[in-house]
Amino acid sequence: MAFLADFHNHSCLSPCGSLDLSPRVIAETAAAKGVRLLALTDHNTSLNCPAFAVHCKRLGIIPLFGLEATTQEEVHMLCLFTRLDAALAFGDFMYSIITPFPNDPEKTGDQVYVDENDNIEGELEYFLPSAADISLDALAPKAAEYGGFVIPAHVDRPAFSMYSQLGTVVSGPWAALECTRIPPVIVSAAGGPADPLNTLGFPLITGSDAHYREHVARRPFELDLTAEKLAPGGEADPAVLRLALEKRPAG
Amino acid sequence: MTIREAAAMLGAEILQDQFENSELSGGYTSDLLSDVMANAKDGGALVTIQAHKNTVAVAALVNIAAIVLCNNRPIQDDMLEAARDEGIAVIRTRENQFTVSGKLFAALKDR
Repeated sequence: MAFLADFHNHSCLSPCGSLDLSPRVIAETAAAKGVRLLALTDHNTSLNCPAFAVHCKRLGIIPLFGLEATTQEEVHMLCLFTRLDAALAFGDFMYSIITPFPNDPEKTGDQVYVDENDNIEGELEYFLPSAADISLDALAPKAAEYGGFVIPAHVDRPAFSMYSQLGTVVSGPWAALECTRIPPVIVSAAGGPADPLNTLGFPLITGSDAHYREHVARRPFELDLTAEKLAPGGEADPAVLRLALEKRPAG
Repeated sequence: MTIREAAAMLGAEILQDQFENSELSGGYTSDLLSDVMANAKDGGALVTIQAHKNTVAVAALVNIAAIVLCNNRPIQDDMLEAARDEGIAVIRTRENQFTVSGKLFAALKDR
């Protein structure tokens, strides 16, 4: 049976995520669709990861913890960690450097973090998708300090992607590139035929970028792994994971 | 100058017309939304090529009255819906940000 992974999911903590989409709902929905390795990646915060950890354990899913960072260039980058404490520490760091502009829940949506029973524990003040004061170049080394790795998000999308912000995919210590479809294509602003996106030989994955329940596990990808090989003790081995990602097909 | 007068002056099509036709207080030109959030003017126009709903979210947070999309950028479907919900005008022109900013500045500089 294919080993399905999905590294891109927003919960009720992201203002753009549905208030119904608790970490419990994400984990349960993904489990029902056969996802074995699942990440929670809210914008610039990891505060819903503790509840996510509880439900992944209960459901036999191997969790990855992290967030979707917004760099100074407004490129979205998935930052992923195998350890919850590392993700929480990195999340605290990212929240401390985002533009301190207050969120207005009436206009842009709620930003609530919850416990494992979906009870609201609190809400975050600053608009989470705001750019953080860190460059694309500085992000991966910073995540690595905390034991994590980064994957440029939805490189083929017309907003908040390497393509939209920089005009091209740029090289860096990326574990893979996330696309909405493989092979990734770019529809030019003027319309017309889609052009293939040059992905520089990086391994490619897809990601659901779930904001609503029906998005969960809509675009998982396969890894050449077993749960026993990746996470003999329940926690993913980052070296094993990186090796499996390197074996993903390139564009 | 009202939003509709500005649209006429720019030769722009009004893509989202559910808005209060208020006087523009000024304008700001940027394609980096964090920069818009930090510097855009309350009640002003935003000149940009960022034709997606995230632009509307930022415009709502900083009280931008009208989004002026340049270079005839194609628009994602959900952008206009979001703008309608917020009562923010969305207009679109074939001209680029430089030209649009120049025209708007000339029209609004004495305000």
